[in-house]
Amino acid sequence: MKDPQKDSPRVTFDLGELMARVENDRELLRDLLMISKEELPKHLQALREAVMSGDGSNVASVAHTFKGMLANLSANHAAEVAAQLERMGRNRQNSGFEEVLVTLERDVLTLLRELNACMAGVSS
Amino acid sequence: MRILIADDESMSRRLLQKTLERAGYDVVAVENGRQAADLLCKMDGPRLALLDWVMPELDGLGVCRKVRKNKERSYVYMVLLTSKEAKEDVVEGLESGADDYLTKPFDPEELKARLRTGLRILNLEDRLVEAREEMRFQATHDGLTSLWNRGMIMELITPELARSHRERTSTAILLCDLDHFKKINDTYGHLAGDDVLRETAKRLLSSVRSYDFVGRYGGEEFLVILNNCNPSYGFARAEELRRAISQRPVQTSSGPVSITLSLGLLLSHEWGRQPVEELLREADAALYAAKAAGRNCVRIAHPGGAHQDQSLPAGVPVRQNP
Repeated sequence: MKDPQKDSPRVTFDLGELMARVENDRELLRDLLMISKEELPKHLQALREAVMSGDGSNVASVAHTFKGMLANLSANHAAEVAAQLERMGRNRQNSGFEEVLVTLERDVLTLLRELNACMAGVSS
Repeated sequence: MRILIADDESMSRRLLQKTLERAGYDVVAVENGRQAADLLCKMDGPRLALLDWVMPELDGLGVCRKVRKNKERSYVYMVLLTSKEAKEDVVEGLESGADDYLTKPFDPEELKARLRTGLRILNLEDRLVEAREEMRFQATHDGLTSLWNRGMIMELITPELARSHRERTSTAILLCDLDHFKKINDTYGHLAGDDVLRETAKRLLSSVRSYDFVGRYGGEEFLVILNNCNPSYGFARAEELRRAISQRPVQTSSGPVSITLSLGLLLSHEWGRQPVEELLREADAALYAAKAAGRNCVRIAHPGGAHQDQSLPAGVPVRQNP
């Protein structure tokens, strides 16, 4: 039996909420999508490096900025995972970062694909 | 209205900027707290600010504290943008001097509504400042002529005399009185009398330099202080004032009225360190001499007691100014 969660594409951001945030301004939406295409991989890389270094306060700081960006995109699940990393970093946890980071990476990669598709729709 | 946005995250900055521009704000966007504080502390900097809490160099709280320390500029309404929602965080934010806070990601309608609250506060502050300035003006100026009032011109003389004594130059005190003013009031009415006083004030002001002082000393008496004044300039200016008043009739609500002015002139360098009241008494005596000499003329107060008509005495030991 197929796992519906696995086979159906999971929606990683709430387009309706995002449209309300940009007040239905498609030009602004396109700007945000372009920024996210450029910035999300950079932030993810920075977060990866912070996790590798094991520096909790650095993880908290990078995760905080990343969380804000994801929340602005209404990528609520990914934002919650970033918030979890931020809390762990702030609480000076020494372990468990990698596992949460993997979840976040998977979410962000899916998000980037969906944002690309959305951008194609906005541009046309 | 100009508004400053400070956020190190480019997406948030773009979102805020566009939302606020659409709402009619003139947006200045910066990437860190240091730039925000520098702009907000400028006298002509934005008076409305949206500050991200977590920023490089100086965080939003630091910006609020820095701006609140600067007492010289007008009030800046600051809203902190934060994803921190704990009660202690909110308290800390407001204690740092922020007026309000907004949780990220923001709702555009809530953002605009909160900024409208800020605008109401700033508008109220503007009205209070305006009222204070109006009261300050009323406390220092004559209601009819808008010249300095008696209290203020008396306050202005003392430091001026001290300065001219220190710099070994002279201050000219000119006590002026409109001739036959009572008769003008009796003949043309008090409204015409008011017109005459207003026009006299205007002519006196336009006949002196921008840094000289002209005040209404009493009913139809005016006090003119010529700062940093050499004797020849003092004499020439006194005569110029007299001419400016008499050269053409004043157009009043009751028709044209011819007026003249009598003046008592005193040059401070001739009197050493006399108290202001004493100098004014002497200028008044010279004015009385001008009245006695037939009015519409200038008489000069000299320490010997004689009140000369105006002529430049030779060898006056003061610095000659251009």
